[in-house]
Amino acid sequence: MEYTLNVSNLKEQFYTRRGIYKALNGVDILLRKGEILGIAGESGCGKTTLGLTIIGLLPRNAVVTDGEILLDGKDLIATLREFASKEANNPNLRHSENIMKKLNKQLINVRGSRISMVFQDPMTSLNPVLRIGYQIAETLMVHQPEVLAKRRLARSKVKDDDLREALKLLENGADEQSIKAFAETRQLEGIEEQLLNIWRRNDLGIARKEKMILSLRSERLGGFDMAVLQRVVSQGRIDGWMRIPGLNRMSKAVLIKEGNTKAVELLSSLEIPNPEEVVKMYPHELSGGMRQRIIIAIALANNPELVIMDEPTSALDVTVQAQILDLLKHLKQRFNTSFILISHDLSVLAEVCDRIGIMYAGRIVEVATVDAIFNKPLHPYTTMLISAVPTIKGGEIQGIGGAVPDMRFPPSGCMFHPRCPYVMDKCRENNPQMKYVEDEHLVACYLYEGQKGEQN
Amino acid sequence: MNLWAYTIRRLLLLIPTLLGLTLIVFILSHVSGNNVILAEYLSPKLTGAARAIATQALIARFHLNQPIYVQYFYWLNAILHGNWGYTNTAIYSGPVTTAIALFLPNTLMLSVVAAILIWIIGVRFGVYSAVNRDSVSDHALRVGSFTLYAMPIYLIGVALIIVLGVYLKVLPISGVVSPTMVSGLSWYVNGISYPTHIIIIDAMLHGAWGVALNAAIHLLLPAITLALAIVAGLIRILRSSMLEVLDQDYIRLARSKGLSERIVYNLHARKNALLPVITLFGLTVAGLLGGAVVVETIFNYPGIGYWTTQALLDSDVGGIMAATLLFGLILVVANLLVDLIYAFVDPRIRY
Repeated sequence: MEYTLNVSNLKEQFYTRRGIYKALNGVDILLRKGEILGIAGESGCGKTTLGLTIIGLLPRNAVVTDGEILLDGKDLIATLREFASKEANNPNLRHSENIMKKLNKQLINVRGSRISMVFQDPMTSLNPVLRIGYQIAETLMVHQPEVLAKRRLARSKVKDDDLREALKLLENGADEQSIKAFAETRQLEGIEEQLLNIWRRNDLGIARKEKMILSLRSERLGGFDMAVLQRVVSQGRIDGWMRIPGLNRMSKAVLIKEGNTKAVELLSSLEIPNPEEVVKMYPHELSGGMRQRIIIAIALANNPELVIMDEPTSALDVTVQAQILDLLKHLKQRFNTSFILISHDLSVLAEVCDRIGIMYAGRIVEVATVDAIFNKPLHPYTTMLISAVPTIKGGEIQGIGGAVPDMRFPPSGCMFHPRCPYVMDKCRENNPQMKYVEDEHLVACYLYEGQKGEQN
Repeated sequence: MNLWAYTIRRLLLLIPTLLGLTLIVFILSHVSGNNVILAEYLSPKLTGAARAIATQALIARFHLNQPIYVQYFYWLNAILHGNWGYTNTAIYSGPVTTAIALFLPNTLMLSVVAAILIWIIGVRFGVYSAVNRDSVSDHALRVGSFTLYAMPIYLIGVALIIVLGVYLKVLPISGVVSPTMVSGLSWYVNGISYPTHIIIIDAMLHGAWGVALNAAIHLLLPAITLALAIVAGLIRILRSSMLEVLDQDYIRLARSKGLSERIVYNLHARKNALLPVITLFGLTVAGLLGGAVVVETIFNYPGIGYWTTQALLDSDVGGIMAATLLFGLILVVANLLVDLIYAFVDPRIRY
């Protein structure tokens, strides 16, 4: 089985004036390719912290004390662990900040291109003074400038005959491979994705699409723009003389412009109506659901391997929520991307996830398929969490007695023992390990000790 | 609504504001009473019946026997036709409009240079201070800017004169140019340069680069004084507004897109952090004008502020009225510009 993401024994603490908060206490996650993993739990159990740690956006007072995060086998937070092992007992926050800066530099090529994140509140997550098109184009330009450059060069090179022929191929039902081959034989790499994206649009009629494809041949490029694009294609990034102030801005202009046209294609693939207009708008001109779609578009722009969605629907009303969840299901089929969907709302997770992990006090205590979690929950916490969800049949809702523990002074042994109805003596002393109870069902609880026990 | 419609609406709103401004200036002149106006025109040699006749003639000429609101419209009419009255001070006497044409360019030059200094210093240090929050340099900047903020402008000016002008002798402390440099020049007569009345520009137009350089050096100290007095507030405000912006969700999203810290700070954060600062630009212009009056007087710099001080000292009603009206006009226009710039940079404001 191939894993996109492998998080093991991740431990993290926040140093504050009022004490040390132990936010994550040994999180284990195995995420498969193309899978949606849901993470559920009460507020304050570390769901968001987990997401932010995976993408490396930590506050200044956070220290990762143990564990690793492997993305396709490569450790993302080796730098942080190194620091923690050196200053384990008495970390100097000033040093920690420097380490964060180092981590930022290391992760800059990972964020947005291999892992991206969608945040909770779409109303405040887009920059109010930048156009939608720019905000999408920017991430394309940073991570794959050569793709943008190729697209633009192809459009300036393409001839009307080529376009007519491509159109014929598309009308005869040519697949992605043959269009790609066509573009390669004509030395027009970069045109194929534009052809396909226009052809796949659902919001336009066939006549309109034909017209758009035939008008792909664009005005010739100026000398400077041509030089910029050719250098970007040959170097694969923006460097050399393109970094000189002034020239830098001019070089980026042509790439951003092309990024805008790609943004239109991206938005239309996410079924956003009227994408040509939307890219010219500012965030305040769009509704919350629309903005969340834009943010999802930004997250998916570079075809990342992993998208972390932190409560993507919590700030939206129920009908928009349903639309976004539909979109997610649709995306799962189209892109070969893995998703981590963080939510406190189990019904949202049930809708779209393949597996669900239940989190409590900075640990994942149970992982199973959606079916198993809802029909055969094992961990007492999971059971109580599910019985706390109101159902359409009515009946008394069972709350969970007590509250999430104060993570400055976490309880000994199993963190759930003060609230657990089945508490045993050893729960108070030892923390149970995650164990496979069934093939797809992992749980950390002494109640299931000895039932097919093999550690994760 | 687009930017043009917004601009036109704001221009229409300007009319009542200007009427209010002229009303206040007009009432100011009446507070001082008719005698002051008449004293400007009556020769002290006239006595008795001749004086009474001359007084009556003047009263009729200036409509002083009419109700005050009628007088106001006569005055407004004159202002609109470019007749701003006469001034008679130690440094200039003649029509006010000519005085403005002679002195305003110098003040503009000083203000523009000071404003550029303020912008460069303020934005750079404000952003730096926020980005390196709680570092040693941030604390140093904070102490420095509070000190400057607390100091009255003449104190800064005098301190700079003493340190740079008197002890170190690196910068000239008075005037716009060294008199020896300009004696005998055809385009510089009686302390007034032609054709723009700004000596640096005139010198460049005439190819006198040495004079231009000398004038630029003379400009430095007043401009620095003016800039230092105002920049402290800008640094403080930009720092706090930048810190607030850096906590926003869209900054986190920008980072999660894989943008470098430089782009996050200088584009995503700064563009938003500058919005409240732009609102303060109107106050900055007020500060520049108020500061110019003091700074120009300290440095003997022949600008509109220097002239205003002279008018005040000489109880020159025409000059004082004209200066008040002019300062008011500049402020009103500056605030209009602020609103337009704000609408331009913040798309949410174009209601």
